[in-house]
Amino acid sequence: MNPDCGRLTLHGVSTLVALMTGSVVIGTGSAWSAPITFNTALPVAKNEFLVREQFIINRSSDDPISLNRDRTAKAAVSVLGYGVNGKLALFGVLPYRDNELKLTVAGQRIKRSASGFGDLTVFGRYTVVQRDQPGRNFRIAPFAGIKAPTGDDDKRDATGVLPPSVQVGSGSWDPLLGVVSTYQTLDYQIDGQISYQINNEANNFEAGDVARLDGSLQYRLWPRTLGGGVPAFFYGVIEANLIYQQKNQVNSQSNPDSGGTRLFLTPGIQYVTRRWIAETAIQVPVVQNLNGDALENDYIARVSVRFNF
Amino acid sequence: MKIIRHSIAALMLLLLIPTAQASGPSYALQVDGLACPFCAYGIEKKLSSIEGVDDTQVNIKTGEVIVIMAEGAPLAEDLARKKVKDAGFTLRAFSRRSK
Repeated sequence: MNPDCGRLTLHGVSTLVALMTGSVVIGTGSAWSAPITFNTALPVAKNEFLVREQFIINRSSDDPISLNRDRTAKAAVSVLGYGVNGKLALFGVLPYRDNELKLTVAGQRIKRSASGFGDLTVFGRYTVVQRDQPGRNFRIAPFAGIKAPTGDDDKRDATGVLPPSVQVGSGSWDPLLGVVSTYQTLDYQIDGQISYQINNEANNFEAGDVARLDGSLQYRLWPRTLGGGVPAFFYGVIEANLIYQQKNQVNSQSNPDSGGTRLFLTPGIQYVTRRWIAETAIQVPVVQNLNGDALENDYIARVSVRFNF
Repeated sequence: MKIIRHSIAALMLLLLIPTAQASGPSYALQVDGLACPFCAYGIEKKLSSIEGVDDTQVNIKTGEVIVIMAEGAPLAEDLARKKVKDAGFTLRAFSRRSK
């Protein structure tokens, strides 16, 4: 393999893992409106199902080195939630990925790409604190799960095996855990979550562990005043995502051009009805304190719909 | 022409009478935790699964859910409480409404 490509692989993996973690932790929900950039707050009633379909584009093109790396990761992430009882909910998150990486090697622009179903993440959430009052509620719920290596991690092209940043699967079993909290009123909702994902080795590559701190505020813009019945709500949304990733390991050696800290601010909108929710948001990086020549994000755009069954 | 109009009116009245008679007791449930439209659907669905429920009407602003039963089908408070809990919320008050 071209050493530049190998290096590129290491650079790009942090972005991939961040995206994967995002889609995993972004895929949960329950009976309230819930954040756009993470799934752990999704509400699900007992014996009921919830489906969220999210379309994500993650662009990274501002390469600090001469490879002029330009990476576009598209994903259609399907989230299925099921309420086992009033406290316990189970979730499955399965992405379909389309990854593309362009770079300049020996004066030539080359493109490497892969698409297919990625790694399945399953997790359970258990509500340990529930306080309901007229027109408001508060929840605290730890969650734990695992990302299974269901996606291909050995895709190839004419140049050889694709780097981890282009593969649709990681090849490793990666546990995650965290806690999510929600405070909701008729006017607004605040969600916060903290999570940690332990990434394990596969194919002599180990992505750095990922720690996340996410917050979301959804504020009802319309209707301004509530009448009777159940009107649809239109929310303005602002979210923040602080993501720290350790350096990757290649053949048990730490890669200095990987990992680091990212902070995204994410404005969005949400239209909430009784049966479905449509929402969109764009994650704008405001801080990217990355190690070495790790590739920075340009933006992550999200559009999703959610259905109650 | 007048006879036809009277006949149609009489027929409509006849159709309305059984409908009105079929409506049974109704109950007012005060539910804590209801705060968005997505929540409302879950609680409607749970309460509608109770045998004998004809209709449910949620007022999200007040947190009140009206449950209308079929004739001769009473709603037990314990069952309503369980269904509200299954939907993820808390029943604060339960009362039968006078007709």
